[in-house]
Amino acid sequence: MLKRQVLLECISALLIMLFLYASLSKFLDFYTFTGEMNNQPLPNSWTPFLVWFIPCSEILMCIALLFERTRLIGLYASLFFMSLFTIYSLFIVFNFFGRIPCSCGGVIKRLTWNQHIVLNLFFVALSIWGIILQRRKSFKSILITKNSFV
Amino acid sequence: MKRIKWTIMTLIISLSVGGALATAPQHDCRTDPQYYWTGSGYMPAGAWGATYLCDSGIDICTYTTDGFGNYTGCRQGEYRLITGINKTQKAKAGKK
Repeated sequence: MLKRQVLLECISALLIMLFLYASLSKFLDFYTFTGEMNNQPLPNSWTPFLVWFIPCSEILMCIALLFERTRLIGLYASLFFMSLFTIYSLFIVFNFFGRIPCSCGGVIKRLTWNQHIVLNLFFVALSIWGIILQRRKSFKSILITKNSFV
Repeated sequence: MKRIKWTIMTLIISLSVGGALATAPQHDCRTDPQYYWTGSGYMPAGAWGATYLCDSGIDICTYTTDGFGNYTGCRQGEYRLITGINKTQKAKAGKK
């Protein structure tokens, strides 16, 4: 039980580190981030929405992952976002959009698109592992609560 | 357990904030050499305000390079060559 709890804390800590770093990097260089979003092969009319939606969602995920009661929501959200980023990276690598834009965001921008996919897949796997551990933990605590009433 | 958890979380948050601050660009990209996208490649943009301007728009006007073939958007807007406009205006005037 303790080992599982420590593992869960470590998984959450790693995800928080990724999302917090990524969102702060975007806010600290917002001008460049807006330019980079325009440079992505997505409609430029989406940019005003995406430049706020992406970093704010990342901050919200960090908050959700921080607390026990909202952790499962945070894990599902991180799985959703990381899967979305992975699919997008795959589209870029397979030249689906016809051109390859820069891969952006703090130190992460130094990574190539292939390295991005590996990093994203690692965090997708981490989110799935976290969800499994959290669900097992929640299920066990429900059983313990039920037994204590019997 | 709770004390260990919050110690780890404080450490992680400090590390993320510190890392983001440390890796944030310390200079203005507009002071670097600027390039523009011709449709098939990147060309030096020229001198800002003298040979080119960036009209209002949501596209990327000019880019900067890290020297390894990676270009990052810098100025926002529509790239407009000042001399190019003069030529167009002259051509229009000639037709009239």
